[in-house]
Amino acid sequence: MKYFFNKASFFLIPILLVWMGLEIFYRTTPNNYSVKAREVQKHYQSCEILILGNSHAYYGLNPEFFQIPTYNFANISQNLYFDKLLFDKHIHNFKKLKWVILNIEYTTLSHTDDIEGETWRKYFYQSQMGIEVDLIPFYDVRQYSLSVSRPLKNSLNTIEQYIEKQTLVDCNESGWGYSYTNENSSTNMEYVAEIVTKKHEDHSLDFSQNLNKIEAIIEQCKQRNIQVLLISMPVHKTYAERVNSHKVSKIHQSAEKVAKKYDNVFYLNLFSDTTFMDSDFFDPDHLNHQGAKKCTQIVNAFMNQNN
Amino acid sequence: MLFNSLDYALFLPIVFILYWFVFQKNLTVQNAFLLLTSYFFYACWSSKFLGLIILSTLINYFFGVLISEKKHHSKAYLTIGIVLNLVILGYFKYYNFFIDNLVALVRIFGAELNIHPLQIILPIGISFYTFQGISYLTDIYRRQTQPCKDYLSFSIFITFFPQLVAGPIERASNLLPQITANRVFNPQQAILGLKLIALGLFEKIVIADNCAGYVNSIFANYDQESGSTLFLGAILFSFQIYGDFCGYSHVAIGSAHLLGFNLTKNFNYPYLAQNIADFWRRWHISFSYWLRDYIYYPLGGNKKGEYKKMRNLTIVFLISGIWHGADWTFVIYGGIHAFLYILFIYYRKWTKNLSFLNSNPIKPLYDFSAIVVTFLLLTLARIFFRADNLENALGYFKQLSASSLFEKPDISRLFVALMFGFLFLEWIQRNKDHLLDLSNIKNKLIRYSIYFIILFLIFYNVGNNQSFIYFQF
Repeated sequence: MKYFFNKASFFLIPILLVWMGLEIFYRTTPNNYSVKAREVQKHYQSCEILILGNSHAYYGLNPEFFQIPTYNFANISQNLYFDKLLFDKHIHNFKKLKWVILNIEYTTLSHTDDIEGETWRKYFYQSQMGIEVDLIPFYDVRQYSLSVSRPLKNSLNTIEQYIEKQTLVDCNESGWGYSYTNENSSTNMEYVAEIVTKKHEDHSLDFSQNLNKIEAIIEQCKQRNIQVLLISMPVHKTYAERVNSHKVSKIHQSAEKVAKKYDNVFYLNLFSDTTFMDSDFFDPDHLNHQGAKKCTQIVNAFMNQNN
Repeated sequence: MLFNSLDYALFLPIVFILYWFVFQKNLTVQNAFLLLTSYFFYACWSSKFLGLIILSTLINYFFGVLISEKKHHSKAYLTIGIVLNLVILGYFKYYNFFIDNLVALVRIFGAELNIHPLQIILPIGISFYTFQGISYLTDIYRRQTQPCKDYLSFSIFITFFPQLVAGPIERASNLLPQITANRVFNPQQAILGLKLIALGLFEKIVIADNCAGYVNSIFANYDQESGSTLFLGAILFSFQIYGDFCGYSHVAIGSAHLLGFNLTKNFNYPYLAQNIADFWRRWHISFSYWLRDYIYYPLGGNKKGEYKKMRNLTIVFLISGIWHGADWTFVIYGGIHAFLYILFIYYRKWTKNLSFLNSNPIKPLYDFSAIVVTFLLLTLARIFFRADNLENALGYFKQLSASSLFEKPDISRLFVALMFGFLFLEWIQRNKDHLLDLSNIKNKLIRYSIYFIILFLIFYNVGNNQSFIYFQF
């Protein structure tokens, strides 16, 4: 037995060392989750607009261009499940909140709670943003180790990114994602759109679960005299052309229906807004700095009109 | 609980430690622990089907005893036992297929049947443990094995967790004596177990799962791809299913080794097969031999004339096809194999007297060509295996045979080349028991470096937790 354990340990020890190193890295290096969990608390007293949603809102709505104090609490691949958990955890702390912005994208209403290919994110939400994620069963050991929650391939890419940029954080103090600059925008929109739209297609028209979540957020906002803006962010024409148009119109109809149902809800549809030019996009479904400024100004004007 | 998951990576060492350090002093206690862990392993898939596996165990246990003790009625008990096994399998696996086809058939004659398919979930591993149960009853009837009177041992024979969900399909004569005998820890066997687990994970995670990324996309959008891309997609599927199933078998056999058991070898470099008969001696060996011993031979095998031999082969391969899944694509898949096998029998007769094929330098070239042709034929047949339905399979073939077959494929040719590189490594190791048998490399540093590279590739690619293809059977 000793011989066996000696042999096995020879291979096991390097694996354990790598695991420990990665765990220390994830626990000590600030990332978007840990930074947002910390920064949002600094905005409790002043924030009047809270932005929730996925990367479209994260990169596309810059708090700097709102006329009132704003915090962007959106994040990459943050679906309504996590929007709701974050909203429930923090809403009672905001003292002056007037608006909550929720973005409604092609994937928003049909996505399942645990997004395929992005399942590792739930462990980061629970561990670093302090929310109870009931998608994680009690016996799931990944909740105790961030490094095993992600494939090693991804972890090594993350370390490479950290070495290159000296940080894993790509948002500023107001929560806006700043890494999609005008300069590094994609030049091959057609090609990227082909890949992205395939990735985004889940072939589901069942919106009921996600609409329930939206309405639950709206109900709470109503009780607190907070207005809700549902927004479909602009996309590049190469993206709009490739997604299922029937689903798109059903999404927009659903959002409009919700806006009609509640007097504290407004819907702004910028999905195919012609104001946005090629130069406003980082890639087929994300705005760059220039586009984010333009979009935020449009949203700001819309909110002023409906205030 | 997938073999390629973190859950199994924790489950197996815990079982290993408790098995050898806590429960090893008493065989009954050790076996009881093994049974509980096997039930737990199965319950992680679906606890509601645990009852079904216990029912299957009870049926085979009691009919095994009856066949042995009631000698005058043993054939009747064997028949009832087999029918009960097949009824369970048939209900869960083939009921809807049967109903769909019956309704369609009746409709041809202008009538309507008011029967609807049921919402039936296929219990995982049912095809494997049912076949294992049938072989047990048949072996007792044939006096090739003794009935197991210890219910605990017999339960482990049916539910032993490493081979429960996707084989190898074990014979009672191999596994039961190992269950009923005291087991002594053998470090060499355990180290071999670790090597096989590493090899299996490499085949599953590095080979199969990486192929799956291409294959899933190509088969889902076959109507938009060029013929050349579809051709490479079919080749990658051949590698995917091999890595997937052979990988599973290696982890199963390796896990069993860690617990002191020797399971049947299930793969022997199948893509180095030089003909279809050779292939079936190398691929899913426990299943091939099961079909031979429990269907082909009872039908008469090759001893009742040429016509019956062809008929028996056709029956065996059609059963082999439908065993994989309740769809006409699988029936056709089996039919193609039967056709290729019969064709090969005639080809072998024709070439028997062509002595120049065995002379240098023709023989190596001939052998190599035979490997390539066999691989390509099997790859084309697998399009039926992989396609979602018959229409897609035929559409895939139609698109494949278009002039775009000669266009530049929209797929990484480097990746395809790497897969053939893997096959080349198998060719180098073809006389070894398995790919990771590096006993011919005397330099420890080189040997250990190879192990570390394998481990790195596994950990680098792990994380998708893609299920095993054969779990659906």
